[in-house]
Order: sequence, then C-alpha cells, then structure tokens
Amino acid sequence: MPQKREDNAKTLVIARGDELMRPTTRRSFVRLLGAGGAVVMMPGVFGAYATTPVLGAQVDGGLMFDLRSDVGIFRLVHTLEQLEAAFYTAVVGNGNFNTFFSAPERELFTDLRNVEIVHREFLRTALGSQAVPDVTGSINTTTLNTILSSRENILAASRLFEHLGVSGLNGAGKYLQDARNLLLAGKFVSVEARHAAALRDIAPPAGQSAATAFAGDDIVDRNGMDVKLEAGAVLDRVAAANIVVNGAVSSRHISYAPTPTQGVPSADHFPSTP
Amino acid sequence: MTQLNQTILDGVDPEIVDRLVSRRAAIRKGATVSAVTAAGLAMGSVPVMLAALSKESFAQTPSAILDVLQFAFILENLENEFYKAVLGTSAVAEQNAAFATVRAQIPASARPTFQQIQKHEQQHTDFLKNTAIPLFGGTAPSLSANDFDFTGGNGSGNGPFLQATTRLDHLLLVAQAVEDTGVRAYKGQAGRLLINGDSKADVALESALRIHSVEARHASKIRRIRHSLNPSDPSLSTAGYVRGGGVFAAGAGNISNPPADAVAALGLIYAGEDNTVHTVFNGTVAAQIDAATLGGMEIIGDAQARRNAAMMAFDEPLTKEQVIAIVRGFIKDNASRGLP
Repeated sequence: MPQKREDNAKTLVIARGDELMRPTTRRSFVRLLGAGGAVVMMPGVFGAYATTPVLGAQVDGGLMFDLRSDVGIFRLVHTLEQLEAAFYTAVVGNGNFNTFFSAPERELFTDLRNVEIVHREFLRTALGSQAVPDVTGSINTTTLNTILSSRENILAASRLFEHLGVSGLNGAGKYLQDARNLLLAGKFVSVEARHAAALRDIAPPAGQSAATAFAGDDIVDRNGMDVKLEAGAVLDRVAAANIVVNGAVSSRHISYAPTPTQGVPSADHFPSTP
Repeated sequence: MTQLNQTILDGVDPEIVDRLVSRRAAIRKGATVSAVTAAGLAMGSVPVMLAALSKESFAQTPSAILDVLQFAFILENLENEFYKAVLGTSAVAEQNAAFATVRAQIPASARPTFQQIQKHEQQHTDFLKNTAIPLFGGTAPSLSANDFDFTGGNGSGNGPFLQATTRLDHLLLVAQAVEDTGVRAYKGQAGRLLINGDSKADVALESALRIHSVEARHASKIRRIRHSLNPSDPSLSTAGYVRGGGVFAAGAGNISNPPADAVAALGLIYAGEDNTVHTVFNGTVAAQIDAATLGGMEIIGDAQARRNAAMMAFDEPLTKEQVIAIVRGFIKDNASRGLP
C-alpha cells in the first residue's frame, strides 16, 4: 500500500457550507482534519449542515449517515457499537443479572460488554471529529426496561444485536474503498459472529436444535453463507425493535447511499428470529 | 516457468517483491504467473498449485481474485475432507479407518454439530467450484481425500496431530485450529477481492465475507465444546473468542505432553492474535490505534483486563505465506507429480 505524504499543518478557511461540496475544498478539509491542521469555519458554515453531505443533515433530530465514504460507513458501525455497548452494560448492571444467568452465561455477557466497549472506543478514536456523538440518550428506556425484565428478552435482544452486526458488516464490505478499512471490518465481523454463535448456543430460537443453532439452517443459506443486510435494512431493524426512541434511527437517516462506483446492493439474507 | 521444480517455500518470497512493484507491473506479472497456475492445475498437483498461487501478484485484479478463490477452494477441501474422515463419510476408506478410534469418543450431542459444520464446508467447496471460480473464467482443481494427510505429516500419516485420530481432546483442538486458520486466511485475503464497482468482484468479496463469518461461528462452537471439557483453561471461553497469541491462544493447556511439533504448529496458527494495534485510513492518512490503551474503558477493569478485552475484540489475519506454511503439511507431496 503506498504511503500518502503527510501534509504540513495548514489553515483552511471555509466561508460557506457549500464550499465543502467542492471536491478540492473537501479534500483539503478532510486532509487537514487528518493532519492536525486548523480549519476555520466562518459564521454560517454550521447552518449549512443540511446541504453538506460530509457532515450530514438531521431527520427527526436523528443522526445522518453518508455512506459514500469509508468514514461514513464506519460512523454507522460506531452507532451500532455504541448501542450494543450500552445495552450489555445495562444487562451486566441489571439487578437480576445473577438470578437470570449462570456463571458461564455471566462470563459471556461480561465479555460481550467489554468487547463492545473496546469496539466503541476504538471507532470513536478512529473517527475523531467524525465520531458519532453519545447515542445513549436516544435509547428507548421503556423498551430497555422491558427487555431487562426477563432472561428470554435479554437473550433475544442480544441475538438480534449480534446478528445485525454480522449482517451489516458483511453487507458493507463491498462499499469500503480502502483495503485497510476492509481488513478492520473483517477483524470486527468474525468476533461478532463468535458472539452470535455463542448466544444461539445458550438460547436457540424456537425450532432450532442446541447442537446446530450456532450456525443453523435459518442463519446459513444453502451456499454455506452467513446473514447479510444492506445498511438501510440494518437501521430499519433497529428501528423496528424500538430500542431507540421513535425516529432516531431508520433507513431515512441515510442521507447518501453508496454510489454505484463503490458497489451495488445485493439480496439480503436474515431470519425473522435470529 | 522453472518454478515448477521448486518447493513451495522456495516459491513464496517473491510475493513480498510483488507488493512493492507498481500496479501495472503487478498485473503483468500476475498474467504470467497464471500460466504456472494453469500448469499446476493441469498436473493435478496441489503442491505445485500452491507454489504457483503463492507467487501471484498482490494487486486487486480479476486474476488476483481467481487466485484467492482457488486458494480458498484448497482450504475448504481440506476442511471438508477432514470432517468427512472424522464422521466416517469420506470416499476413501483409509481416511475413515484412520479416525475410527476417536469417532467412537465423539459425544452423541456433538455429532450433529460436526455434521452441520461438514455440510457448510461442502457448500463452500461447491459454491467456489460451481459459481465463484467459473465467474472469473477459472476451473477448480481436482482434489480428493487422497491428497490430504490430516496428521499434518505431509503424507507420512505420522505428523504432529496424529493423536487427533485417537483422542477426542486432540481432535477438538485440531478442528478448532482448522477453523481459526480458515477465519484468518479469509480475513487476510479479503483486500485482494476489493474492486469497487466491479459486480463480479462484489460477488467474490461478499461471498468470502459471508463464508468467513460462518467459519468464525464454527470456531466459536468448537471452542465452547472445549471450554465445557476444560473450564479452567484461560484462553477458552463461553464466548468462543481467540484470546492472546501463539500457542497460548490455542487453549492447549489441558493436553498433557503435547508433541513439540504440534506446539510449534499451533504457534504458527495463532501467531500474532495478541495484536492490539490496528490501522484505519480516514481518506487521507492512515492511523495506527492501540485498542488496549484507549480511554473510556475503565469499567472493564485494570490495564491487563483492558488488554485482554482488546485482544478478544479483534480477530487477526494471516498472510497467504503464513497459511501455506501451516497447511502444507496437511497436503501430500507426491513424487510422481514431480515433487519430493
């Protein structure tokens, strides 16, 4: 992989938001962010967010995702990792944790919490100024409390989260534009798959046998392939689970889908009850 | 074309050179080496083909993709034929007979697990052979159970993992190692399948990613079975992670007096899994970030607990050279095909 030369820190003055639409300006902007240079935003720049794809607009006060860059794709991953980390932190901190779960199961959930926290903090650092703000305020506490009230609900929600992670990363790989970022996504996804298999082992969905649920016929298709979802479908399933407040996350929050020069969508594969 | 007479390891190092040459040169070189691959395929010789494939260029080109798919096909065949021998369903009677002792030790509850895993490996080989490789104009090599030595003995039948044919703990360890090698191999090759906007490359990449996560499910399951048998081994967990690197990460602590060559092989299979520094490219600069020392992770515990979590949170790739060094003992050399 050729090494990019490092720009000397400079100052870039951006007077209007739409200047960021120009490729040359945007390139300078992103380069300066990466190189520790200074960017001076003149008054009115932030007001132009709604038409500035690099920074994203808002719908219903929610986050927006521009999937035309690796950064945009990892912002979506960062959102999911934040939700997972917050969820497992709540599970482990729940007053019923010791009564709901055996010692090996508690070990599993503690590992899940720890690993998702590492993923969250890694992406926060990697994304820097583009990191997704803390989303815990968007978690639907009514739904969360319902989930936390039973062992079965916790396991079902955990299986959903892990399978959304696996399917989303499997679907996003083709849109990434840098092989190093693809490798990073690969390092995440096999860990999420280990989680997913463990959770299905502990609590197979109805109709699945304990011996094969870890990679059951509902999960692995006839070509031996795992779950896969396009980004919009991932967000809609998060929305359908009602785990975030109404309108905070959905496919409508994709301000820009990946372009055909990145890749084209493929058929999704995801069971009704992962 | 003199490479045909070289050993696999002799043939590996030019790939490092390939990484340094320009994309144009890489494509040109790739086209030339593909003829060697074709010769290897024509001879039906797996070692020749491995040697030839190892010299393919590193650039993301259709010929590089075909190279990856052929490589994956060999690994999937190794896995598939291994499980068939374990289950006693191999087309080769000697392979079934070799595992008869350990087969009787597999708990009834685990037999459907092995069958499910073998089914997936068969599906992977079928997909690669019938769909993916032809999509790139290639033909899958002809392989049979006779081409493999599951003891890792390169045809001697007396390799480092011989005890897997007679002892359940060794068998499970080998199955786990085979699956984790598969996970690491696919991860290491994914970048070579990336050609944005190329619909065929998209099929290859997305299929590889989806196979990759299935292999991770297999590895997780086998680790959990092993964890239930050896609950005190610190590298085995309910979650089925790889924790730590080298032979420690194999979780072989319960195996008494493991052969030194098995320990060495496991060291290769899990080399570098303890890495916590990962590269991310933001469109302009590549940053190296150490996941073990980030802020915001205090709830996990002390510095060592955070490092352990960071090791578990990322699975690491193997290069093709590393994978070849691991699997070559499992694939027989054959003098009649011009190799030692």
